[in-house]
Amino acid sequence: MPTPPLFIADLVVERGDKRIVDGLSLSLAPGEIYALLGGNGAGKSTTLFAILGFLERQGGSLTVGGVDVAANPDAVRRQVAYLPENVALYDHLTARENVDYFLKVAGCPRSRADVDAGFEGVGLAAAAWDERAARFSKGMRQKTAIALALLRETPLMLLDEPTSGLDPAAAGDFHRLLETLGRRGVAVLMVTHDLLGAADTADRIGLIQAGRIAREWTASPTVPRFDLNALHSGFASAR
Amino acid sequence: MSDLKREAWLLGRSRAALAALLLLFLCAGAGVALGLATVSRDRAAIDRMLAGQPAEESALAAFVDDAGYGAYYGFQPTWNPPSDLAFAALGNRDIAPTMLRIRALALEGQIYENEAANPELALPGRFDLAFVVVYLAPLVLIALLHDLWSGEREAGRLYALQATPAARRHIWGPRIVVRAGGVLAVLLVPFAVGAAITGTSPLRALAFAGIIVLACLFWTAVALLVARRGNSSAVNAASLAALWFALTLVAPAAAGLAINAGVTVPDGAALARENREDVHAGWDRPRDATMQRFLALYPQHAPGSALPPTFHWKWYFAFQHLGDLHVASASKAYRDGIARRADLARAAGWLLPPAGLSQAMARLARTDVAAQLAYQQRIRAYHTRLREFYYDYLFSEKPFGPADLATVPRFDPAGGM
Amino acid sequence: MTQMIAIAAAELRLMLRSRLALIGLAALLLLSGIAAVTSAVQTASASATRAAAQAATDEQFKTQPSRHPHRMVHYGTYALRPVGPLAAFDPGVDSFTGTVLFLEGHRQNSATFGAARESSDLVRFGQLTPAFVLQTLAPLLLVFLGFATVARERERGSLRALSAHGASAASILGGKVLALGGVALLAMAPALMALAWAALRHPGEGGIATLIALAYGVYLLVWVIGITAISALARTSQGALVTLLAIWAIVVVLVPRAAAGWAGVAEPLPSRVDTEFAIAADLRRMGDSHNPDDPHFAAFKQRILKQYGVATVDELPVNYRGLVGAEGERLTSELFALYAARADAIQLGQSARLETLGVLSPALAVRRASMVGAATDVATHLAFMNRAEAYRYQLIQRLNGLQVTQVSSADDRARSRDPLADQRTRISADFWKTMPQFQLAPSAPATRAAAMLPAMALLAFWLAIGVGLLWLARRNLDQTAA
Repeated sequence: MPTPPLFIADLVVERGDKRIVDGLSLSLAPGEIYALLGGNGAGKSTTLFAILGFLERQGGSLTVGGVDVAANPDAVRRQVAYLPENVALYDHLTARENVDYFLKVAGCPRSRADVDAGFEGVGLAAAAWDERAARFSKGMRQKTAIALALLRETPLMLLDEPTSGLDPAAAGDFHRLLETLGRRGVAVLMVTHDLLGAADTADRIGLIQAGRIAREWTASPTVPRFDLNALHSGFASAR
Repeated sequence: MSDLKREAWLLGRSRAALAALLLLFLCAGAGVALGLATVSRDRAAIDRMLAGQPAEESALAAFVDDAGYGAYYGFQPTWNPPSDLAFAALGNRDIAPTMLRIRALALEGQIYENEAANPELALPGRFDLAFVVVYLAPLVLIALLHDLWSGEREAGRLYALQATPAARRHIWGPRIVVRAGGVLAVLLVPFAVGAAITGTSPLRALAFAGIIVLACLFWTAVALLVARRGNSSAVNAASLAALWFALTLVAPAAAGLAINAGVTVPDGAALARENREDVHAGWDRPRDATMQRFLALYPQHAPGSALPPTFHWKWYFAFQHLGDLHVASASKAYRDGIARRADLARAAGWLLPPAGLSQAMARLARTDVAAQLAYQQRIRAYHTRLREFYYDYLFSEKPFGPADLATVPRFDPAGGM
Repeated sequence: MTQMIAIAAAELRLMLRSRLALIGLAALLLLSGIAAVTSAVQTASASATRAAAQAATDEQFKTQPSRHPHRMVHYGTYALRPVGPLAAFDPGVDSFTGTVLFLEGHRQNSATFGAARESSDLVRFGQLTPAFVLQTLAPLLLVFLGFATVARERERGSLRALSAHGASAASILGGKVLALGGVALLAMAPALMALAWAALRHPGEGGIATLIALAYGVYLLVWVIGITAISALARTSQGALVTLLAIWAIVVVLVPRAAAGWAGVAEPLPSRVDTEFAIAADLRRMGDSHNPDDPHFAAFKQRILKQYGVATVDELPVNYRGLVGAEGERLTSELFALYAARADAIQLGQSARLETLGVLSPALAVRRASMVGAATDVATHLAFMNRAEAYRYQLIQRLNGLQVTQVSSADDRARSRDPLADQRTRISADFWKTMPQFQLAPSAPATRAAAMLPAMALLAFWLAIGVGLLWLARRNLDQTAA
């Protein structure tokens, strides 16, 4: 069996003296899209930060592509593209300059044609490519950042509330994009409030509660992929 | 390397950062230019003094028929030429004279003379490269580094950047190097130009550049220590500015105040007056006693020491010198007091890096208080040679004419102590 | 108005509750207090030392034994520059000039012994005096306390809330200025107390001290208004802080030094040696008393002989040597005065350049006003030098006059050969007691006040700029609220 892009078992993370993540287990296969749902403070973002190595874990194991994040956070970050919730770009740089800069920072520069294709792929209007980010709407920033994450071509992608603030059409486009990613074999872990969006795209949905996965649903091969009523009531009971 | 290029590019895209670096570059350039202009003016003044000396001597030659006249009227130039680094750290060359013409009379009445200078120009301090390094460069470093992390956090980019592999090595390290290096470059380029124009010895130029690097490293370290603490950009900027302000403005001034209060320097005016009293009382003292005291110091002149009943220059110059000896210990206490203050200030420099670095630059450029005291010591040594040259003529009654003026010992600025 | 006061009160309450603000203010007050006390003590001691030295040197002159008057010409005397009445508040250039001037015949010496030359290199970092605290440190404290005054409200969104509650931009800004101005007033207190203390000890200085206080008041008000305006115009408090720190560094640190460096290079002052050489060359041209065939002194001799109606010097009823000495002194002193006037003009020109550059920095303007008012500027020093030179000439010529009338011509001629004649040339010690003493009264406060006017006008110009900036900020706030 190949090493999973993300493997988490019995993860424990504390912030200060508070135990935020408490025995969370989760494993992603290549190409799998996993949506992590949960109320505020349930531990969603903390889990992402633990994967990125921003926070130390107090227990359990956590590997990305078989690499333990505690042992080698850089090797992990090389395999992870991360899209923060509030995408912030350098306002004084254009979309292209931002993407170029961050790609160089990440150590994987891309050609101009690749970047163009990336922008096209996320549906960023061509007129905006060489426009300064200061004038961008939230959706345009999001698209720029997603293009950036895609251009990284990592086996694992972490998305923090990727569709918050996007209009329904843009959110729909985004979900189509995710499916493409999945087909390319990229494993995606996204933290979201957007139940419908998750149900539309995810292969599995996990409900996080008190720092662990309380319930989990797997998409059925037939439509509807999830039982929306079950999701709703599960989500409601978690609050 | 590509990381550095990338960060340099990013820095270049920030208009405020570029403006700060450009301003610093202009200031460093102006500091070097003013320093070079001041040094060349100093050199020109010295050259004018040396060029004018023959005219003075030929005027003297027209009536000199006695060694006593030569000794009394013959002013000789002494000077403290600017070193090859003086342009970068002008130090105290504006408040302590760098040229002085002296004669064989009592030296204590001559050595404290001041150069003509407008004190209002000395009051705010010199505008030279050392000032730019000690005062302005830290402010630019603070401006460029205070929000290194907090700025990204406040803009929401911090996690995106931290999530990239080896952020420390690939982002923060290069970013710090580029920013501190930019400051260093705009300081070192004008310095290198100035050093090349002056023809500074490479080793000394390198040492001076080393002090500039140290100054930048110190403030970079301070800025990073504060920036890492996780406060907001505004708090970081305020803390760093307060630190700069305390270390560069308040503490050195307070230390100077404490040192001056703690080490009293004897009243120079009283010293000069006491010298005058003793010299002029010499006219009325028994002449034999004066000569005996003088001959105890210069026994070799005993054979020619007999005095005529009327005025004779050997007696006159004997009591001039005895007047200097009369206040020798007070004069030494005066110098020692100043030297002690300078020593304490150097010690304070270890605790106050801006003051320490500034003093190190002036020391290397030989424009500090110690250099001024050393110049005075060279004047004293030369004065002794000058006196003794004339004693030989006066006590041997060897004739002295215009031709002998050419053999008067000359001051050697390099030492000759 | 009540709105404005409420806003000011809220701002002051915030400062009172901020530990950093209180520490900063306390530190400034402490520094200011230290500066006031040490400066007062040092000035008092310098003043006493110099007065005692002047008295001692006058006494020494009077108690010299009987001697030839020309020996007294070389014995000479000292003039000490008195410490200005308000020097405890602003010592100005006092440390950077010599304070003691040796006055003797045929020579013009420089003033020697100043505090800066007797200090370590640290003196160049500035002297901790009440004036330094007000010019340099107080504005920076105001920047720290005030940079966020409006920007903070904008960042937190409370600016909108204030507008929503009916506060106009004018009353918001007015309240902020009022609060920061109150702090500025408090920060000024110790330094102003030092000024008042100095003024009280010197009757007649009260008016000029008030004018100086007014100059500093306007200067700090310019800062208060400017800080508030920039805080309102900046998008973030960080931006406001960085901008204000840059302005402070340029106005207070950079411009004064650059201006001084520029003035020195643009209008160079000849060195002392240059002047000595030029005077010596002029003298050789005009008349050489060593040369018996010198045309000037030959003509002088003819004039004297004619005046007394005699044919030879020996027939003169007075001592011709004394007359020649006096004539020589007259010639040299005329040249001294001529060259001193040129050098003074250059120095005053340099200072005028600095004053003009007050257009670039209110710190230069207030420093100028303060030094001129406290009589510690370069003009005061030059006045001392000129007064001392005039006194020197008067003293030397009186001594030469004694040689003319009290020393017999024959004895004077014979004294280098004949010890008895030498003995007879010594005139009574009582003559020394009749010589005038050096005195220098400080310039009248009204004169100083008039000299302060250009600098005061520059401060008013800065106040206008500050008000203009505040008006811009008001418009900006009105627009964002709309």
